[in-house]
Amino acid sequence: MSVPFIPKILVLATEKCAYPGADAVGKAHQEYPSHVYILRVLSPVVFPEDFYLRTYSQGIDGILIAACGSDCPYHGAYDRLAARIDQLTSHMNAGGLGIERIRLTAICTVCIKAFLKEIAMMTDNLQRLGPVDRKIAERLHRESIERLQASARFGQPVEMMQGGVL
Amino acid sequence: MNHQDPKDQALELTTDGAECWEPGKVEEHDAQQQIDSALRRANELHSAAKEQQEPRIGVYICRCGGNISDVVDVERVAETVRLIPGVTTAKVHTFVCSDPGQHTISDDILKENLDRVVVASCSPFLHEQTFRGAVSRGGLNSYLYEHVNIREQASWAHKHDPEGATLKAIRMIAAAVGKLHHVRPLDQIKLPNHRRALVIGGGIAGMKAASDLAMRGIKVLLVEATERLGGQLNNLNRVYPSERPASEIVRELEQKVLHNENIEIFFGARVRSVSGFIGNFKVALQVTSTNGDEAPHLAFTVGAIVIATGFRPYVPQEGEFLYRTSPAVLTMPEFIQLMRTAEPVGSQLVYKGQAVRKIAFLHCVGSRQLEGVHQPSPDGKLNTYCSRTCCSTILRQALEVRKRFPSVEVFDFHRDIRTYGRGEEDYYIEASKAGVIFFRYNGEEPPHIELTPAKLSAAGALSITVKDALTWGEELTVQTDLLVLGTGMIPGEIAELIEQMKLATGEDGFLQEVHPKLRPVELAVNGALLAGTAQGPMNIQETLAAAGAAAVKAAAMFAKEEVELNPFVAEVDQSRCSGEALCVAECDYEGALQIVQVEVDGRTVDRAQVNAGLCVGCGACVAVCPHRAIDVNGWRIDQFEAMVDGIAADIPGHACSAELVSVH
Repeated sequence: MSVPFIPKILVLATEKCAYPGADAVGKAHQEYPSHVYILRVLSPVVFPEDFYLRTYSQGIDGILIAACGSDCPYHGAYDRLAARIDQLTSHMNAGGLGIERIRLTAICTVCIKAFLKEIAMMTDNLQRLGPVDRKIAERLHRESIERLQASARFGQPVEMMQGGVL
Repeated sequence: MNHQDPKDQALELTTDGAECWEPGKVEEHDAQQQIDSALRRANELHSAAKEQQEPRIGVYICRCGGNISDVVDVERVAETVRLIPGVTTAKVHTFVCSDPGQHTISDDILKENLDRVVVASCSPFLHEQTFRGAVSRGGLNSYLYEHVNIREQASWAHKHDPEGATLKAIRMIAAAVGKLHHVRPLDQIKLPNHRRALVIGGGIAGMKAASDLAMRGIKVLLVEATERLGGQLNNLNRVYPSERPASEIVRELEQKVLHNENIEIFFGARVRSVSGFIGNFKVALQVTSTNGDEAPHLAFTVGAIVIATGFRPYVPQEGEFLYRTSPAVLTMPEFIQLMRTAEPVGSQLVYKGQAVRKIAFLHCVGSRQLEGVHQPSPDGKLNTYCSRTCCSTILRQALEVRKRFPSVEVFDFHRDIRTYGRGEEDYYIEASKAGVIFFRYNGEEPPHIELTPAKLSAAGALSITVKDALTWGEELTVQTDLLVLGTGMIPGEIAELIEQMKLATGEDGFLQEVHPKLRPVELAVNGALLAGTAQGPMNIQETLAAAGAAAVKAAAMFAKEEVELNPFVAEVDQSRCSGEALCVAECDYEGALQIVQVEVDGRTVDRAQVNAGLCVGCGACVAVCPHRAIDVNGWRIDQFEAMVDGIAADIPGHACSAELVSVH
């Protein structure tokens, strides 16, 4: 391959910790690859499993969940998040996406070095792994929606599959 | 995902068909499937488009006076984002945050009939509110706005990759535009504003803030950890540049706060817990009575919190410049205490029964520390900052010694002298005239202090050797009876408060304001303000000015009967909810989310309902709903999905291969 693979990384950064942490990196004029995209979130606990899998299916190679860890301002949210990411990771692993395309970590408002280290680590891993297999991601996305639908006991389950990405 | 908008769809179609994704390209039968679904969607969207009006989005890209445009090609960003469906205007401005910049936005909303706005500029923490305001002045709901951070997270972070930074800016704007296709107007949540302030710290900053607030008719709780008001000023003598006794300043402020009907003072009290938000902070105080008994916690609700917890004087480590090795080495607070109580014996200053004939002052002790030269504190930190007040303090003390005890010789060892305030330079001039002898050392080579052998003690207890820059590096040795260390300021011990309120500190450990120029004395926690040296070294004038500013800002917060909060709380779409209560099980906030009975088609059914006053917007409930019936306003899942699509999408009018080549 003449052109080295440059992975696209999505960072889900918490408004109280990791997002200002990423700002601190820029303020300190420290650099990281421009294919790292940072989305501000209140808490990543909001995301259902299918959101992550859909993101891979769109061609994002890696997702870094940069949370608040023990500084999480919301009761119980971090523990729930950790459990949900655990489950997602095992589905990804079993389904063929591996465990290295997702990482949950805590980044504080002044954690410049930690932020850069996480980005470097994920970039290295993704360069070794190569681009995400969007076909697998689409299959896992479909399965995750089916699981969510199956949890409905009554009423119409989520209609997102109609007119959705599949 | 629920596609309702043709424009959002168009973005996604380019993604699907993009050749950029060569490595992970989907196989043929999937491609056919994709074409089928794309056609199906196109039909759906065609009908949807008839019902729904196309959004008209204005995008404003800030140069930030070069901070952004020196790296990001902002003109190209504007040209490119104009091609994104839904964008009707894309403009570049040198400072969008300026008055003219903001006017452009509000004018365009009217002139060009915009119904959504994106500003790509600095971090949202600086100007998101500013631009929501501009949008609102243009007559639009302020939540039909999306902020893109292309300074802290693009131009500054990718300085050596201008092409990459430019493409990233385009994609981040595409993401914001994608989100705006899915937003709807939101109303701010209004809650009662408790017109009472908590001031933490009864030093001059706390007293000044409390009295200024009380003067404006605001009730104040003033909490002091000790049994006495005045803080560090209780340890000072006369102060520069007014030469007034510190006790006079304390007394003056004390008279304003003691017996003030608007101020309730708690002595021996500590803040044990703080929760809530602007207008509605819940605080618990613990008061320790004079006999040491701890009373139960007192609970209050306050609308604003002023932090005036002050500083601690730096205490040298054992052996640092022979501190605690020789009794002849004193810190500045110890020396001030000596001068306060010293009764001249004849014209002599007496210390520990001995007449003092020579005094040396050493600048920058515990400040401006250098790696490899100074010993880090036990937590591994060096105090690299200047404590700002020590130079003038030393010169003031040196001059006082010369005036009160003319027979005492005074030596001053400095790296630099910075008497920056009005009237302070006079102390330097006067000290020189009064015969104070100055030596200047290089920071890498601080003076070397040695104990004088006992037999020479008549000539002084200590010898100080310095490579003196004022005599072109000549090595000079001075014998002295006393060495006074010009110790600086270090942060107060407020770890518990920092933890409770999640306050930001700088690398120096002092509390950090949101922005030194745009939002001085404000903390990132809305409704919390900084007064004085809790924020960093300041002299008395600066401390009082900061405290006055904090009081005014707190008073301004109380001008409204209600506080307005961002409506970022969960909301249930009752038409989708089936009352299964899976979400309720995920909520840790009592009363925030519950099942209620509602009438639907003549039947009574269970539905989830959010109490907006108790919901914190964490979103723990969202992920588990099999009907996607609950979501967090302003941060909805379909909005995030649209943002991901914007990031993943092909850049309009941009050849994929060119991008790959450009980033090496």
